[in-house]
Amino acid sequence: MSDALLDVTGLTAGYGPIEVLHGLDFSVADGEIVVILGANGAGKTTTMRALSGMISRGGTINFGGRSIGGMRPDAVLRAGVSQVPQGRGTFTDLSVEDNLLAGAYTLRGGTPGDDLDRWYGVFPRLAERKDQKAGSLSGGEQQMLAIARAMMNRPKLLLCDEPSLGLAPIITQELFQVLGDLRDEMGMSLLIVEQNAGLSLQLADRAYVLETGDIVATGTGDELLADDTIKEAYLGVVS
Amino acid sequence: MSLFIERMVNGLADGAIYSLLALALVVIFRSTGQLNFAQGEIGTFGAFVVSTLTLSGWPVWISIGTAMVVGFAISAGVERIVVRPIETRNPGAVIVALIGVFLAVNQLTAMIWGVDARGLPSVFPDDADDFVTVFGAPLRIARLGILAMLAVVVFLLWLLFNKTKIGLAMRAVANNQESSNLVGIRVGGILLLGWGLAGAIGVLAAAMLAPSAGLTGTLMLGPFLLASVAAVLGGLDSPLGAVVGGLLIGVTEAVIVGYVDFLGADMLFPVMLVILLAVLLLRPAGLFGSERVERV
Repeated sequence: MSDALLDVTGLTAGYGPIEVLHGLDFSVADGEIVVILGANGAGKTTTMRALSGMISRGGTINFGGRSIGGMRPDAVLRAGVSQVPQGRGTFTDLSVEDNLLAGAYTLRGGTPGDDLDRWYGVFPRLAERKDQKAGSLSGGEQQMLAIARAMMNRPKLLLCDEPSLGLAPIITQELFQVLGDLRDEMGMSLLIVEQNAGLSLQLADRAYVLETGDIVATGTGDELLADDTIKEAYLGVVS
Repeated sequence: MSLFIERMVNGLADGAIYSLLALALVVIFRSTGQLNFAQGEIGTFGAFVVSTLTLSGWPVWISIGTAMVVGFAISAGVERIVVRPIETRNPGAVIVALIGVFLAVNQLTAMIWGVDARGLPSVFPDDADDFVTVFGAPLRIARLGILAMLAVVVFLLWLLFNKTKIGLAMRAVANNQESSNLVGIRVGGILLLGWGLAGAIGVLAAAMLAPSAGLTGTLMLGPFLLASVAAVLGGLDSPLGAVVGGLLIGVTEAVIVGYVDFLGADMLFPVMLVILLAVLLLRPAGLFGSERVERV
């Protein structure tokens, strides 16, 4: 796919001598929502960390036509890729507003005041709690904060690492609604890694299945939702 | 009454030195989770730099400013050359290495400047008649100046931490290094800055203390111990706690030395040890610290 926004080929990464990812190929087109589905230990978080430049990685990562595979995290952010980390990663001792301002850290010049207003508009709960410590928010609110913080960097691509983790089903539904809105209303592209196959595949334009560091299946969200093996492995449906 | 006021103000002025040193300890502890044993010695080294510069005719203010830059560089160097490489391999070994740095800086100071005591000029008016009288108590300008200096440093640090982007980054790194990395903060640079800042504050504390205490290689030994108690008392991760803790320890010292005859100056450190143990047993997080002071 030559017109892809994010084009990854042969991605390898690991920790010390242990290779976790054995050469992944995947892509995200402009305005597309792509889900990488995987169980615990499949390599989902490693994939996200490799894309963000948090760990050293092999293979090629092209974003918007330029290689970001050798960049440090701050350069990846400036190139237009933000990450919502697993477990939300909010600065628990900092106020909600400081969390958002930290998200705009790599933006040069100007005050991010307009961005603050914009995200307070999207998430009124955050506006109400802007002076509270982020650690005092509920899990769902912290996840919204993590998304808003990542968006403060004005990215073109948003990486979400298991956003549904530890959230009640009703909150998870709300959350995926928000992620869908980011694409529909702002034209964002999203790459989401998830275990929650049901909701994430409904949202996804395309999806990949990751198993122990290899991509073993790919298709549109609907195709994978209809796939018997997927149903069995990720939805707990025995066919 | 006038003697009491005089003793309390002098206690607060001593306490201001402990506060400055405790602030330096807290700045490092918040970001790195280490107690910098070399903090006091870097200060002493800097005070000798001030001495050399003033003896060669530099104004005291400029000498102190220059020495603070030297302290910044030494402390930042310790972080980069000693702490960071060891921490990635064995975090528990860092404290031993810092004791090593303590000894190394102490010996280096003795090698360069010898072991004889010397005077250091005060930045504040410090002649025999430079005092103001409050309720009959003669308060020396030089001592009041130290308290004013503490207020200025606290205000500047507050501005830095709360009103600047770099300060936001420092607070973010103290809270969560992984997430700091993810929002594009270069964590290594921020840690270096924090250590450097602590080094500079340590030099300032030493340069404030030396004119009244006399400049020797062991200038900061006692103050460092008292500042450690102050930092634990106030809460190792709380800048406010460091300031309050330092002043409390200074006043406690003045009371013990001045009014508790059966203890007196000789028993100062044992009493401080008891305070330290009491804090650790009754309120491990300190007066203003957050409950979670262990590294996570």
